Amino acid sequence: MRGYLLGRLLRTLPVVFGVVTVVFLLIHLLPGDPVEIMLGESAAPAQKEELRRELRLDRPILAQYGTYLAGIPRGDLGVSFRSGEPVLGEIARRIPATFLLAATSISVAVLVALPLGVLAAVRRGKGADYLSGIGAMLSLSVPNFLLGPLLVLLFSVRLGLLPVSGYGAGRPLVLPAVTLGTGMAALLTRMVRATLLEELRKEYVTAAIARGLPYRSAVARHALRNALVPVVTALGLSFGAVLAGSVITETIFSWPGIGRLLIQAIDARDYPLVQGCVLVIALFTVAVNLATDILCARLDPRIRYE
Amino acid sequence: MDLTTGLRRFLAPAPSFTGGRAANRTRRALIAVLPVFLAAVPWGCAQKLPIDEGRMVIALPGAPVNVDPRVATDAYGEQVLQMTHASLVGRDAAGEMIPDLAERWESPDPLTYVFRLRPGLRFHDGRPLTSADARFTFAWILDAANRSPHRGLYRNVAAIETPDPRTVVFRLTEPFAPFLSTMVRGIVPAGSRARGYAPPAGAGPYRLDDLSPDGEAVLSAFDGYYGGPPAIREVTVKFIPDSNVRFLELRMGSVNFVLNGVDPDLLPAAEEAGRLVVGEGPGGNVTYLGFNLRDRALSDARVRRAIAMAIDREAIVRTIWKGRADLVTSILPPGSWAADPDLPATLFDPARARRLLDEAGFPDPDGEGPLPRLRLTYKTSQNEVRRRVATVIQDQLRRVGVSVEIQSLEWGTFFSDIKRGSFQIYSLTWVGIADPDIFHLAFHSRSVPPDGANRGGYSDAELDRLTDAARRESSREKRRAMYRRVQRILARDLPVVPLWAGRNVLVRDRRLAGFLLTPDESYSSVRGMRIVSLPPTPSIGGRR
Repeated sequence: MRGYLLGRLLRTLPVVFGVVTVVFLLIHLLPGDPVEIMLGESAAPAQKEELRRELRLDRPILAQYGTYLAGIPRGDLGVSFRSGEPVLGEIARRIPATFLLAATSISVAVLVALPLGVLAAVRRGKGADYLSGIGAMLSLSVPNFLLGPLLVLLFSVRLGLLPVSGYGAGRPLVLPAVTLGTGMAALLTRMVRATLLEELRKEYVTAAIARGLPYRSAVARHALRNALVPVVTALGLSFGAVLAGSVITETIFSWPGIGRLLIQAIDARDYPLVQGCVLVIALFTVAVNLATDILCARLDPRIRYE
Repeated sequence: MDLTTGLRRFLAPAPSFTGGRAANRTRRALIAVLPVFLAAVPWGCAQKLPIDEGRMVIALPGAPVNVDPRVATDAYGEQVLQMTHASLVGRDAAGEMIPDLAERWESPDPLTYVFRLRPGLRFHDGRPLTSADARFTFAWILDAANRSPHRGLYRNVAAIETPDPRTVVFRLTEPFAPFLSTMVRGIVPAGSRARGYAPPAGAGPYRLDDLSPDGEAVLSAFDGYYGGPPAIREVTVKFIPDSNVRFLELRMGSVNFVLNGVDPDLLPAAEEAGRLVVGEGPGGNVTYLGFNLRDRALSDARVRRAIAMAIDREAIVRTIWKGRADLVTSILPPGSWAADPDLPATLFDPARARRLLDEAGFPDPDGEGPLPRLRLTYKTSQNEVRRRVATVIQDQLRRVGVSVEIQSLEWGTFFSDIKRGSFQIYSLTWVGIADPDIFHLAFHSRSVPPDGANRGGYSDAELDRLTDAARRESSREKRRAMYRRVQRILARDLPVVPLWAGRNVLVRDRRLAGFLLTPDESYSSVRGMRIVSLPPTPSIGGRR
């Protein structure tokens, strides 16, 4: 197990290195000069050159890249051009908000998708199945930027139950988490239904029922466990999508997360901050995928740590 | 139906004969289907609105990057600073300089400015504010090591002297008429270090108690303010980027003050809500169309004039801005002391536009047929309103035979292209013009980027001479005469077409009083606001 983990961690290094390199090159290739954006057009050219030197943007791009890479192992991601604050501090301030939102929305998705998916599978072709199918299709069809304001209209404006925007672990979290989790819940519902149906058709389930095991136990203890392996894999893969989707949700609900920070950093051509945000998102995505693999192996002992 | 229209319809009050029961049914049904975790959340329906607790909640469309007056450049940072930090001088509603921390000032010669501070000034932390603090603030900005983006503004400052604790003297290297307007800069205590989200103390009417990046800023009244403590004891500034959400917060009452942050389409719905009042006043931000004069076709003034005459600005203001913009003839804000009220306007005249294009050598190749006389690209940002304006202008120019391709670009790319001169036509807005010296920055032949903002490469010897002379002239009357001549030259040559100045629109709770709406969108007069008692009005918004 330890060897497996070490191996997997080592294999993630090229992925992270690749992401860092591509983002570094892309952000530097984008038109737009951070110095011009910071100082404006009224600044004297000498002042702009001075700031360019101060920010070390006058050096060849390869030298800048080398400095950036050298700083990563020390946890030095540079200093934000726009705020003058260390990038790591800027990100650390926003990370809790983003992860609170992501974790809650994934929990919402799982809590909704598991019972609905199982219900749709065991009542295949019945009303519950059709209803869950229609619900899933509707949820997948409504984009977050529309769903968010619609939920606000209903639950905040019409019913006055929840705040329109803001940050917090209680009431302010409900609408952003539901907005972000709805699409994923729909996807997972259909996936649970499909994989469970496939398992239910297998002989071991028929044999278990023939031996006298109640149908519910056969589904819950045997078929569902096996059906969950691809679902957990999809859940891990969709973590990246949740982080990407959080950009829109954070903007709608004024949620102070890393998504909004990244957008502001791109607008300001704040190179260190963009690179830092992407690096952190990449690291977390890799970590979640690793955790997913381990969980899958736990769920299905036939999957070996290799 | 777009989202804004949908919002408006949704918020429209239901017919009275069915409204109550239908709403109750909806509520019951929705509550019944709420997921389990929603049910686990405490509602707090009885929570009071902020205004009931004597609090004002302002919503800004974005979060400030920095709230240190020595380095802040973004509009949201400046707006927070207008409430927390006091300057040597301020601006009144007409843009004229007025005393702030300095009770008076004089300029014995064009190279010297002497400011006399009020007695007994104090910072929020209780320290006395003296001339040493003023000197420190500007010396800090001028120190290259501090990388202040404002350093260029003070490049004419040769020395700052403090003969006594209440007197500060600025000596300039050369006469610079707009100098006084650069003194609107918050003063910080001597020795203050730049610390990003923990800005130095100020001496303004409100103290900054808490600032969460991308979240909100909490301000409390400063009892030691020289002008007396503000009546509203607590002000929260929320940073809400989504315009629909800002509007919904207003409807809910959780926000009670929004300046220029509500979509024009939603203003009627705001007015319908009994709790809110919509007010408007002239704005100072001028939108214009810029031409690249290095382009073969656009180097001809007749082509530029033809384009100006083909644009029906009134129709755009009526349809897109819902009438909430004023047509302008110059890039100066309409109320500026240097504005020329008799400047001839370029009127909408498509027939004359066609004739001008014919004269300029761009005849229509096939009469009413599809072939254009001229093909141009029009660059703009991804702002929704700007894109809609571009589409209307594209259609209006098509009617005179000019084919326009719209390129809507991400802001950084768009602005980079404009500064590099990689454009034919673009549209932008001049924001915060405080002095007519803007003509030097925007049109002087030496102000081509990176040395200024003459992006189209305009050049005129008389304009160069006038703008050089006007910035060295201390007489207001002589400057006014020079700038009026400058505006005549620009109206003749049309290197840019000034389009309109958006009106400032304030949506506030009807119980908030005392705010002075100024063209420069200043939040300075928040200090004079108060909460008044009014008879209750029926609210269409949600219950709390």
